[in-house]
Amino acid sequence: MRTVITPSTIDRFRTIVGSERVLAETLERLVYAKDASMNQGECGVAVLCETTAEVAACMRVAADLGLPVVPRGSGTSLAGSAIPLDGSVVISVARMGRVLSVDADTPCAWVEPGVLNLDLTAAVDHLGLHYAPDPSSQAACSIGGNVGTNAGGPHCLASGVTSQHILGMEVVLPDGQVLTIGGPAPDPPGLDLRGFLVGAEGTLGIVTKVCVRLTRNPPVVRTLLVDFTSLTAAGAAVRDIIAKGVIPAAMEMMDRTMTRAVEAFVHAGLPLDAAAVLLVEVDGTAAQVASDADVVEAICRESGASNIRVAVDEAERALFWKARKNAFGACARIAPNYYLHDCVVPRTRLVEVLAAIEEIASRNELVIMNVFHAGDGNLHPLISFDRRDDAQVTRVLRAGHEIIEVCMRVGGTLSGEHGIGMEKRDFMPMQFGVADLDAQARSREAFDPEGRMNPRKVLPSGSKCGDLIFSPDDLPEGTWI
Amino acid sequence: MDLDPGTHVDRVELCRVLRAASIAGRHVRIAGGGSGGHRGRRSHGHADIVSTLGLDRTISHEPADLVATVEAGVPVARLQDELAAHGQTWIHAPSIPGSTVGGLLSRAASGHRRLRYGALRDSVLQIVVVTGDGRLVSAGGKTVKGVAGYDIPRLVVGSNGALGVIVEVTLKLWPMPRTSAWFTARGGTAELADLGEAVRRSIHQPASILLGPDRLDVELIGPDADLLAPAGMTPDQAPPVFGAAGLLEIGVPAAALPDLAVRLARREYAFQAQLGVGTCLAAIDDRSQRDEIRAMAITAGGHAVVVDGPDDLRDDPWGPPPAGMEIMCRLKAAFDPAGILNRGQFIGDPVGTR
Ligand SMILES: Cc1cc2nc3c(=O)[nH]c(=O)nc-3n(C[C@H](O)[C@H](O)[C@H](O)COP(=O)(O)OP(=O)(O)OC[C@H]3O[C@@H](n4cnc5c(N)ncnc54)[C@H](O)[C@@H]3O)c2cc1C
Ligand SMILES: Cc1cc2nc3c(=O)[nH]c(=O)nc-3n(C[C@H](O)[C@H](O)[C@H](O)COP(=O)(O)OP(=O)(O)OC[C@H]3O[C@@H](n4cnc5c(N)ncnc54)[C@H](O)[C@@H]3O)c2cc1C
Repeated sequence: MRTVITPSTIDRFRTIVGSERVLAETLERLVYAKDASMNQGECGVAVLCETTAEVAACMRVAADLGLPVVPRGSGTSLAGSAIPLDGSVVISVARMGRVLSVDADTPCAWVEPGVLNLDLTAAVDHLGLHYAPDPSSQAACSIGGNVGTNAGGPHCLASGVTSQHILGMEVVLPDGQVLTIGGPAPDPPGLDLRGFLVGAEGTLGIVTKVCVRLTRNPPVVRTLLVDFTSLTAAGAAVRDIIAKGVIPAAMEMMDRTMTRAVEAFVHAGLPLDAAAVLLVEVDGTAAQVASDADVVEAICRESGASNIRVAVDEAERALFWKARKNAFGACARIAPNYYLHDCVVPRTRLVEVLAAIEEIASRNELVIMNVFHAGDGNLHPLISFDRRDDAQVTRVLRAGHEIIEVCMRVGGTLSGEHGIGMEKRDFMPMQFGVADLDAQARSREAFDPEGRMNPRKVLPSGSKCGDLIFSPDDLPEGTWI
Repeated sequence: MDLDPGTHVDRVELCRVLRAASIAGRHVRIAGGGSGGHRGRRSHGHADIVSTLGLDRTISHEPADLVATVEAGVPVARLQDELAAHGQTWIHAPSIPGSTVGGLLSRAASGHRRLRYGALRDSVLQIVVVTGDGRLVSAGGKTVKGVAGYDIPRLVVGSNGALGVIVEVTLKLWPMPRTSAWFTARGGTAELADLGEAVRRSIHQPASILLGPDRLDVELIGPDADLLAPAGMTPDQAPPVFGAAGLLEIGVPAAALPDLAVRLARREYAFQAQLGVGTCLAAIDDRSQRDEIRAMAITAGGHAVVVDGPDDLRDDPWGPPPAGMEIMCRLKAAFDPAGILNRGQFIGDPVGTR
């Protein structure tokens, strides 16, 4: 149902934050109707909040008028999770950008949600600390958004994704109530609401403060850039490194098409003839790094690596990472649009899945590029296309569907880090059964009984069933509910 | 309906049993290996017992992927043996005899190597539970990374069986560390606390820093070159597992723990603090001790939960209600609408219906 934002509603928001922070003009609203995915929504009004009190007051207005609300950070979501549908109210916390306190001993920090991921690390660097999850978008995405999507990044292989680095948060519930959940003290009594809020894609409330775990910088880091003459060989190396008991700090892969696109953009001296490039980083003590790097190098050579280049200094290391983290940006040079998937497959099945994706690309006459978190099996097949070409768009969507099917068949997961949002929402039944989706819908309702937070995201419509237990008919023999 | 421990309950049967119990309003207590002690509020009245010991299959273990799927009744010790045969491990602690995977998860017991390897809940990739009203619900995914859908696994881990019976889990494993070593130092609590904090600052990723009133024990993991005794410490065996009839688990910000330990020592409490993590187990005999330590923990920005002990200590196991109780109660109702499961184990169980 379309939400209608009346002038008097706009006035109520203006009373709270002042008129310049309520964006109600057509052009202004257009900006907030998109995120970094290929979807388009419709924003009723965008309110830029600067304090928790403002967020709470706006939420009370929305509750009062029964308006749907979409929380927004930097708007870099790749799943359409930050897109308002049908005229929802967007509440942006991007202006809440202060690091509130740093406790260097625990170590942890309280920050506002609009703090950018990379700025947080920069703010604690002088203490020998960093914030571990490092999405490729880290220069642009916000901590609140990272909490919203449970963001990952190359270095989450060893250190874990966002949920392992969030200790607590202040959250404004749909009715305007402000709660502080968790904090630096581990294992607070009761259910782990903190863990449940991470990755909820703005469907439970608006996070207005975050307590993040900080991590000490490793004493020694070694970064290796390895070329392979086939994707299969590179995939096998990834599998064997893990199987050997070495979990590198990061292990990323790029295929040839992607490598060429990136090299043209970043000029990092990447090998243009390699079928696949593996970027492996090991860190720890000098002894640990030496021993892990030995294993990595030996396995890469056994798997047929054609060249291994070790970053000689921090500048070269930074260049390797710049190449990796600018991959999506580089794709814009290939075609105007891209459709990105984010499935995770067991690491032992990487090789066959990559082959299947290649086959899907050629059968659908599409260019599919791969740059991904190989170490944890998190694929990012990126289909480039031109949305003005309708026939191509049809093939793109079909190929996307086929990729998901392949991943599901080998025991994969729909999304490793980008989230479900609206783009992957209708694929949810491929991973979850009726009772599973119902349980998720009921859990969501525990926070948002009226269903006003980021509606129609994450769960397909009709996810909630009736009260199964009190239905009169008994189960047929042997069925699972 | 009383199922003897050891009866093979398959999950379909479990759905039926719980569904029937919900309709009839009969209370059910979930039993794993029975090693978990007494937690939560004392529960009065009859409860049917549902044992998970029949759910004892290792469903799959893919060594090259460091992932295993097991049923909840699998004994932790057996799982560890199976994994060790492949040079792998799940939790980084010796398992208590009899404990099951489901029991450990429902308690969220993270073991002594949490400082290096993180909390137990971070290792759960997928969970399958039978809810109080007999629905079979699966959440999460079998891969080492995944954000599809809500994080129900994190709600279930540590919920003390309040939301459902865990029947199956997929776990993220670790390579078994090839070499590790314990070091110890004896002395006064304040100096030892300083020493422990110095270890935390100077050594990269120690596995464990355990501080007691008069001893400090540090475990290091890594290649031999990294297993040198920290300044002021000497090589030793692992310290004894800390236990007591009345056990309080304290959680405070890690930075506040050394100070709290010194205060506990001054009051002559026995305790074991995990420096760097912020948790601390303390032995208590009565309510006044519980309340005294709890007050200290709250002042330090944390909490103290009774994790084992006789009935009288458990009249107030959790202390002041945490923020979000209303939501927790709604979540409990979403999973166990008739409120039949593990009465007294859920923080929101109202007094009087224990
Ligand atoms: C080039 C590029 C590279 C990327 N690389 C990665 C990567 O490596 N790993 C990765 O995980 N992601 C990556 N992303 C995706 C994206 O950056 C992440 O999902 C990021 O976490 C989104 O943060 P944001 O601040 O932009 O949030 P938004 O896009 O504004 O919002 C994302 C979701 O979080 C919710 N949300 C935002 N703020 C709050 C809040 N304060 N309280 C509650 N909910 C909130 C929104 O409602 C929405 O559902 C990439 C994106 C791009 C464009
Ligand atoms: C601080 C601390 C640290 C500990 N560290 C460790 C450790 O590192 N290693 C170790 O082995 N033990 C450890 N323990 C002990 C551990 O908590 C218990 O041994 C274990 O939880 C009990 O398992 P069990 O199968 O015997 O469960 P039980 O004693 O049978 O049950 C324990 C609780 O779990 C519930 N429960 C059992 N199975 C299920 C299920 N399938 N679904 C839902 N609920 C269920 C029960 O209802 C009961 O509430 C620790 C304990 C504490 C207090």
